[in-house]
Amino acid sequence: MQQNGLNESGSLPLAGCVVVERSRTVAAAYAGRLLATMGADVVMLEPEAGSPLRKAPPMLDGGKGHSALFAYLSVGKRSVVCDLESADGQRVLERELDKAHILINDTPLAERIAQGLAPEAIDKRFPSLVHVSILPFGASGPKADWDGEESNLMHASGEGFLLPNGFSRELFPDRPPLKIYGHFASYQGGSVAALSALSAWWAVPEIGGQYIDVSVQDAMLLCGAFALQRLGDGSLEHRATRSFRYGGVFEAKDGFVELLTLEDRQWESLVKLLGHPAWAADEAWRDPLERSRRGNEINHHIREWMARHDVDIIVKNAQELGVPAAKYRTPADVVNGEQERSRGLFAPATLTDGRQADVLLAPYQFRCTPLQFGGGVPSLGETGQHVAAQEVTP
Amino acid sequence: MSQAAAPLAGVRIADFTIHAAGPFATHVLSQLGAECIKIESKTRPDAFRKPHAVYGRMTAATFDQVSANKLSVRLNLKKPEAVELAKRIVAVSDVAAESFRPGVMTRLGLDFNELCKVKPDLVMLSLSSSGQNGPDSHFAGYAPLFGAWGGLGWMTGYSDGPPVEMRHVMDHSAGLHAVVAMVAALHQRRRTGQAQYIDLAAREVASAMIGDALVEASLGIEPVRPGNGDLAMAPHGVYATAQPDRWLTVAVRDDAEWRALLGVLGQDDVAADPRFASVQTRRQHQQELDALMTQWLAPCNADETAVRLQQAGVCAHVSWNMQDIADDAHLRARGSVTDVSGPNIPKRAVVGAPAQFSKTQDVGIRRLTPALGQDEDYVFGELLGLSSSQRADLEEREVIL
Repeated sequence: MQQNGLNESGSLPLAGCVVVERSRTVAAAYAGRLLATMGADVVMLEPEAGSPLRKAPPMLDGGKGHSALFAYLSVGKRSVVCDLESADGQRVLERELDKAHILINDTPLAERIAQGLAPEAIDKRFPSLVHVSILPFGASGPKADWDGEESNLMHASGEGFLLPNGFSRELFPDRPPLKIYGHFASYQGGSVAALSALSAWWAVPEIGGQYIDVSVQDAMLLCGAFALQRLGDGSLEHRATRSFRYGGVFEAKDGFVELLTLEDRQWESLVKLLGHPAWAADEAWRDPLERSRRGNEINHHIREWMARHDVDIIVKNAQELGVPAAKYRTPADVVNGEQERSRGLFAPATLTDGRQADVLLAPYQFRCTPLQFGGGVPSLGETGQHVAAQEVTP
Repeated sequence: MSQAAAPLAGVRIADFTIHAAGPFATHVLSQLGAECIKIESKTRPDAFRKPHAVYGRMTAATFDQVSANKLSVRLNLKKPEAVELAKRIVAVSDVAAESFRPGVMTRLGLDFNELCKVKPDLVMLSLSSSGQNGPDSHFAGYAPLFGAWGGLGWMTGYSDGPPVEMRHVMDHSAGLHAVVAMVAALHQRRRTGQAQYIDLAAREVASAMIGDALVEASLGIEPVRPGNGDLAMAPHGVYATAQPDRWLTVAVRDDAEWRALLGVLGQDDVAADPRFASVQTRRQHQQELDALMTQWLAPCNADETAVRLQQAGVCAHVSWNMQDIADDAHLRARGSVTDVSGPNIPKRAVVGAPAQFSKTQDVGIRRLTPALGQDEDYVFGELLGLSSSQRADLEEREVIL
């Protein structure tokens, strides 16, 4: 990519942006993480015991070591210990907010006043600050005091009910519905929080700071909007029936393949990929509605063919023919992937135990001012609680 | 609802995106107040303007969430004059966004370098399946493929089953991450006056969703696929209740919540059982625990139990379908679900504001899906200053088509 001669500075997109993060949930930490990747100076105000995320699974070293999740979420941030129940802690908060443009806050509603984090008080004291509240069900509405972990929120937003579809559902029709791995809904919540923060910050010159109320449930529903659109079209989606009529997950000789053909030309290429088998010669298959109707039959044939071939060869040939197909890659495949390496998706980071790990930098590239890591995973209070306290002692 | 009272009021987007992920990104920007000009044509209509047999929709959609709020103009980009007009739209915009396969914008003469000639401080997004460079950059893909490539599909599924296909949430998550980057780039432009080119690969967003597992993999650890289980919480799962297909999700973090759960379910005696005395022992006896939870919850009313558990401080929620969501008082009170209706659109529930802003409150859907070319008077007439006769001529020669 040509740099276009426009940018010499190398300064990151959010250079100069100061963010205070008070987080105990993945959603709030991910919001800070996104801002940190783009060059914001993100300070975590951690309780004396440290953020609970420091002990959140998956843990490295058989549960006794450090949290892989915390490493991912906090690389590039700073940590300041701050007990908001104490006067010293309040002074640290005040000092940090004085310098900040954005506050990301997931403190439960019931604790906010005691911790000096009520929106009205913050707004009065820091009128230019963008204060983003992020809670499982938001800070307003009849369920604002409900609590939720990822699985609750994935199902409260409607997507959990719709999973799994396709092959897994066929194999295990009686099992409970299933969430997406990890913290998908929380990550959407964090993305909306980061987006809201940046959007409100954009408007600061016009209207000053403001308070934004983000809900993880809302954010996940935003991403699942298509299912609500289908309801408006008259169709209540269910995991048993929302499968693509043909295509989906297939087991090949040495792994799993995703294959999906939505357009006519892709169907023709698929027939070619399969080696023009006799069953596919029937003229009736040319009609997409007929293909949809007889999807199971098609899948039966594809399944039988896939089982005899290697994943990498299937995917390579499919992509060359214009058939959308992909390998279900393991995390190790991704970390060592040629595509990821060539795009610099990972960067080394130092963990709190001194080890180096490759950590995913960011899922977007800024081609004119490439992103970079600004350090490792912070130890608790890495700037030093005593230093912090001394600085504010009158 | 006034666009001026939204945080991104005054930002204009030249929108070349198609399908799901890209249009979702620009839709979210439009909900935040940006003016989004969708550039399309009769010859290459976007998915919602066509029947979609895969979803059983045999006509064009009357309402399309990701096109709501947008202005529509027609340009037949196969014609050089249309490309020039597209550039003129970009020249009066702040952001350009596209989601073609890599190479298409260059072929059209509308790549970042070309567009910077008419708009030197442009913020541009290219959203694709695998990114603009690298050995896989030419790969075609949809959401299930992004999920497969990125590792999210592998990590999702029953522990003893196959990987699971991601659906539209994967597209939209990619779009959402793109928006975060675009607004950051606008700040950078405000600060430096410089252009920015954002290259987003949807599969890398899928990878970002397993960032913790990738840290493990980079250290040689093979991450486990936990299914509905959790590596720290117990009980943690999705349980059948008295009503068919009405599942209850429960997540218990600590001993206090465990005792609260037992209280709600009338099982106080179990608190003394040493197998379940601590998180560690509950996790060690997870199968027995899950069997008991299944037995206890089987006769329960899911909705009532969720409320009682929440009141006792236990994380619980029913596995909701979209009708539950459309009818929910909480989501309605927040404006995250709202109704729309129009001349050909009977009242229907849609996803509204992505967040509640205390000052710039007019966030959300303010217009429905535009008809093809609906806003040409404003865009071609007012913004570009084309006369009616010029426009008639361009239409005659199928530049506007």
